This record gives sequence, structure tokens and C-alpha cells, in this order.
Amino acid sequence: MPRKNKSTEQTAGYLSRRRVRIISLLGLCAALLIIIAIAASVGSVPIPLGTTASILVDKLPFVDLTPTWDAAIATIILDIRLPRVILAGLVGAALAIAGATYQGLFRNPLADPYLIGVAQGASLGAVIGFLLPAAWNLTGMGVIPMFAFIGAVVATVVVYLLSRVGKTLPVTTLILAGVALSALLGSIVSYLVISSGNKLHSIIFWMMGSFSGSVWSEVLMVLPYIAVGIAVIVIFARLLNVMQLDEEQAQQLGVNVENFKIILLAAATLITAASVSFVGTIGFVGIIIPHAVRLIWGADHRFLLPLSILVGAVFMILTDLVSRTVLAPTEIPIGVITAICGAPFFLYLLRRRKKAIF
Amino acid sequence: MIELEMINVTLGYDHHTVMEDITFKASPGEMVGLIGPNGSGKSTIIRALSHLIRRKSGVITVGGRDIEKIKRQELACLVGVVPQLPILPSTFTAFEIVLMGRNPHMGLFEAESQRDFEIARQAMSRTSTEKLANRHVNELSGGEIQCLLIARVLVQETEAILLDEPTANLDIGRQEDILNLIKKLCRENNLTVLAAIHDLNLAAQYCDRLILIHNGRIQANGTPAEVITNANIKEVYGAENCVYTHPVNGLPTVLLSALKKKAT
Repeated sequence: MPRKNKSTEQTAGYLSRRRVRIISLLGLCAALLIIIAIAASVGSVPIPLGTTASILVDKLPFVDLTPTWDAAIATIILDIRLPRVILAGLVGAALAIAGATYQGLFRNPLADPYLIGVAQGASLGAVIGFLLPAAWNLTGMGVIPMFAFIGAVVATVVVYLLSRVGKTLPVTTLILAGVALSALLGSIVSYLVISSGNKLHSIIFWMMGSFSGSVWSEVLMVLPYIAVGIAVIVIFARLLNVMQLDEEQAQQLGVNVENFKIILLAAATLITAASVSFVGTIGFVGIIIPHAVRLIWGADHRFLLPLSILVGAVFMILTDLVSRTVLAPTEIPIGVITAICGAPFFLYLLRRRKKAIF
Repeated sequence: MIELEMINVTLGYDHHTVMEDITFKASPGEMVGLIGPNGSGKSTIIRALSHLIRRKSGVITVGGRDIEKIKRQELACLVGVVPQLPILPSTFTAFEIVLMGRNPHMGLFEAESQRDFEIARQAMSRTSTEKLANRHVNELSGGEIQCLLIARVLVQETEAILLDEPTANLDIGRQEDILNLIKKLCRENNLTVLAAIHDLNLAAQYCDRLILIHNGRIQANGTPAEVITNANIKEVYGAENCVYTHPVNGLPTVLLSALKKKAT
């Protein structure tokens, strides 16, 4: 039944763009599910897509299919491939939304999740973890992720404290403090890396990022941080739009800018730190995915953020798939793949759209 | 209907004081103009009344309440601001920018309703910006952006409006349209309007009362005829004997003549 609609050309344009974005969101949700199934099917033991789909559907609540598959196949899918695929999706989503948040908060197209010291902090933590005697590995979660997480959080807290001026947090100061502290930590990391002897290879591999050997316990440890962080950021999406004006106008439009910055910085930093701790500092995703989404669907954060989550997840699952299959059984570090696959696509988008992108 | 008031207010940034001993009141239905030379502190008063800077001493009240005790979101429902030509984010359309004026009225989990769209649509037609709705703001001229910002403040539906040089980028036709619109709203909806206006003649024609600022203090506060006098203009701007009476409406008019100002 056609609704009585007084909207003229102005609202019509706005509403039709919004409709396109909603349809794209739904389409991407479907694409994500399909890609999860495909990624779980491909590997050293090829499994037909239909079988994979049945095994996954069977695991859903209230669904009970009669197994027509080998129990060993189910184990490969559910315990070996699926945790890896899910972790890749989670990390891709987390880095993409964190990047979009930093770019929006700083109103700076060069911002990425690592801008204010998370990556270098995590790297230093991880390197220290690698260099410690193995006997230190007492906690269940492994010493490397724990040290990396602590390093990332400590580094951002230091940057935050250094950039506070009275009761305000000037964005430029924050970026500069982040860049300076990252340089300092980076040089310490470089020194530790070259003097690390036989651990050099594993350290370098960690820093380039990898999902190899992911297990469910890791997924469960990362999930709460990412879920809570994403929820907080998405709730504030409309205010992030208003923040795009400038901080003064945002205040005049009712946004408590200082509180808002701290909440979003904390959320974005936490999800980045949690992701980086388990899989290393994967570059490129956090800066490019939000830009690609903005180029295609526009800058309204109420769509930019969820679309970035989905595109980030899809992209990361696909790149992880490439990284473990192209030279199988050797794995290519995922950081290499993200740039090789993503950069040409992004440059193509950049050329195709000649309008302002930020 | 709210009153804006400053009593013995000192304003400044960090360690230096910009304005001292500022006392004035702006009432509903009254259009007050802030005039004064560059750097005299017109914008500082607007920034203080929208709580972008905090007073150093004195009292600033909005509707009789201390401005420091009003939450940002509530303040933005009471006092709307048209800033001096800002750079707008290029990726938004004009309609989206105007719609942002609804922000203070919306809860965290709310989205714009049909009513919000309707308010934005009306504001755009009142400011003759409806044709710009689907354009990206980086394609617009300074004058168009100015009109858009006025549409945004209308959408905000506040009881007081502060304007920082609202006509600086407009041609004379648009200047008239915008000031007439502001004055009409002021009268019909009993809005409190405070506008920093550079152009003394425009200020004299449209404002009910003028506040002349000089060296961080209020030099004069009264009707245009009381404020725009040869003595005040000479004191503040250094131009001599340049105030005339407008031939049609009898309001004071400032006309410079190259022969009168001594070359130094």
C-alpha cells in the first residue's frame, strides 16, 4: 500500500540514497555468510561447499540435520577452519570500524587504527614476550597476546595523558604525540628485533600478522572486546556525523565533544588492541576499507560504520584464504596479501570517482 | 522565550583577557546587533553565549539559568548559532548538513522522523536553498553555505539565535532577504536574536538595538540613533563626521568620504 508521502525532491534524494545503503547492508550480510562457508570449504582437504553448508547449518540452534558427512570432515570444518575464518572476520571488522572511527574523530583521511601508538605498543609488548624465557608462559592465553595487549593499552594511555591540555584533548596534539611515541617505541622494537638472534623469524612473522593456528579460545577472548567496542561506536554514529563539521559546531549542536572523544577513543583502541594482540599488526585494512566504503556509499556514519564492519570482515576472510592457499602449504603473511589485493582495488575506486573523498 | 544576559563578565583565552566588564541583556522579540572593529571581541561574546569558552568572572545566564549548569544538548535546544563561514565536510549533501540541526532534539537511539524531514524541508524553502538539497557542500559558494547554515539554525528550533557575520558573504539582495527573514522570525516567534554585524549600515537598518564594542569593553548600548553618532564612530573607528540620516527611513547611515579622513 503506497504511503501518503509529501516528501519532495530533497527528501526523495536523501531517502533513495538511504534505501540503497540499507539494501547494500543486507546484501553484504548475505555475502559474508556465503564467504564464511566458502572459506571453510577450501583447504588442503577440499570439502564440497554443500557439505560445509550443511555442517554449519546443523550447528545453528533449533536445527538438527541427519549427518551425511564424515565426523572427521566436521572436525576439520568446525574445529580447525571455522575458528580461523571467524577470527579473521572479527579482526577485519574490528580494524575497519576502528579506522573509520579514528578518521571520523580526527577528521583526517590518513588516520588508521595504529595512529596513536597501538601498533608499536603491541609490537614492543610482543617482542618482549618473545624474548622472555619460555617458563614465563604461565597464563592460559599465552604470553605474547597478553604482553601485546598490555603494550598497546599502555602506549595509548601514555599518548592520551601527554596530549591532555587542561580538560580538553586537542586532536592535533593527540596525533603528534601518537606519531612521536610510535617512533620512539618503533626504534626500541627495531633494536630488540635485530638483537633477538634465533627468534628473529618468528618475531617478524608475528609483526606481519597471521591467523595461522587460530583456535576457538582465542576467538572467545577477542569477541567480548570487539563486540562491546563495536556496539559503543555504532551507538554514537550520528554524533560522529555532527563531529565532521568541526568541534565548535558539534558543541553548538549539542554534542559534549570532550566526553565523546574519550569514549570513542577508548572503544576504538580497545578493539584494535584486542585484535592486534592475537594476530599481529595487520596493516592497510584499517585505513583503506573505510575509504572504500565512503567512496561507494557516502559519509553518513550510521551506514559507514556497519558497512565498514561487513566489508572489513569479508575482505579479511578472503585475504586470509589467499594467504593460506596460494603457496600452500607455505603461508604468506597476511599483511602482504592485504596490500597486494587491496591497493589496486582502492586505486581503481579512487580513479573512477573523481569527486571529493573525504 | 528566553533572555540572554551577561553581568560584569570577563572573557579571555588562557592568560590574556579579551573582554572586561561586559554587561548587557538581549530579550525575546528583540534583534540586537553587535558592532565594533575587527578584533574587538564580537565573536568572543557569541562564543561565550554558546559556551564554547568559559567566562573568567561574572555571570552569564540563558533564560535566567547559569549557562555553566545547562547541559550541552539542552543548551543546543535553547540557543542556536550560525558560525562565521566554516569549512563544511565535503562528503555531505546540503540536505544532510541542514538535517544535523535536529541533532540536539534526538535521543541516542533515535533516527530522523518524517517530521524532522518536513522541518528541514521547510527551513530550506524559507532560505531559498531547496534547490541545493542534493548537492555536495564542496560545490557550493560562500553565500549558499551561509544560507544553508541559517536553514540549519531554523531546523534547530531554538528560542535564541546567535549569528556571527551572517551577511558577510552575501550580495546585497541576499543580505536583505536573510536579514528580513531573521527579523521576521524574531518578531513572529518572539526569538531572541543577537547578531555580530560588520556592516554598520546593515546593523542600523535591521537591529532594534546596537551594542558597540571597543577595546574589549562596551562603548555604547542603545537604539541605532543613540549608538551610531559622529562622536562614537570617531572614537572607535577614527573616521570623522561621516554619520548622515537615511533619506527614506531616518535611521543613521555611515558614509565615508575620501576627502575627510586625513592621510597619515
